[in-house]
Amino acid sequence: MPSPIPTQLVDTLTTSVEDVFTTMVFQPVQPGGVVGEVPRLKQTNIVATVAFAGHRRGAVSFHSSADCAKDIAGSMLGITPAEINGELPDAIGEIANMIAGTFRTKLAAFEPACAISVPTVTMGSDFATRYVAEVSRTVIPFTMSGQTLWVELILTGQ
Amino acid sequence: MKFLVVDDSSTMRRIIINTLNKLGHKECLEAGNGVEGLARLSEGMVDMVITDWNMPEMSGIDFIRALRASDATKKVPILMVTTNAAEDDIVEAMKAGVNNYVVKPFTPDTMREKIEAAIA
Repeated sequence: MPSPIPTQLVDTLTTSVEDVFTTMVFQPVQPGGVVGEVPRLKQTNIVATVAFAGHRRGAVSFHSSADCAKDIAGSMLGITPAEINGELPDAIGEIANMIAGTFRTKLAAFEPACAISVPTVTMGSDFATRYVAEVSRTVIPFTMSGQTLWVELILTGQ
Repeated sequence: MKFLVVDDSSTMRRIIINTLNKLGHKECLEAGNGVEGLARLSEGMVDMVITDWNMPEMSGIDFIRALRASDATKKVPILMVTTNAAEDDIVEAMKAGVNNYVVKPFTPDTMREKIEAAIA
């Protein structure tokens, strides 16, 4: 049975997400209570993942609907969501990169730093992510202007 | 001032250029990695280079080392914009030759202060 993820890591990830959205998306997010899984969305959705390794090993994943992702990308780029087209994977990958990077930097204040990977982005409908290794997972839902997005922390080898 | 913004993420280049525009800087060139950045600079000089760290083909650190090794670019002010913000990262970037360092996420005020400090 994997160990539960320490509260300090969950809190650090939560503040990292809040920092990124306030500063770069110009829209605040409100965290909800931690949940076990990201709900399986039937509409087109997007997942962006950044892995990290070093003192800790795992990944940070961003999940949202395509509509929510377009709102985020539009706000970041200063254009309307309707104008978003090919920019979506790059914009959401950059969101995941900044969340993971901020999380890494905050953790480095009290433990050895990890290295982070480039983001990988998956878009589609009716899919779910699975992990082959035994991992500890936690999912934090956030609301942004009435929409929900999820940020997942996965740790291996705790 | 004329800027060269080097980042493999088109989103981040757009955000940086939008930020520079808000700060009154309208002349901005773009490049997707260090190799493209060197090519842009061979066509004409800029007043400041703003570069990411993690990029394909030529990383930001290798790009900075290449700039510092060339007589034509060794004095151009360089600002690094990256999520790599651990103390060791900053030391490595400073050793390579950056003038200042902006950690993502950043505000326009932070960008303005770092630009001013880099050219002081």
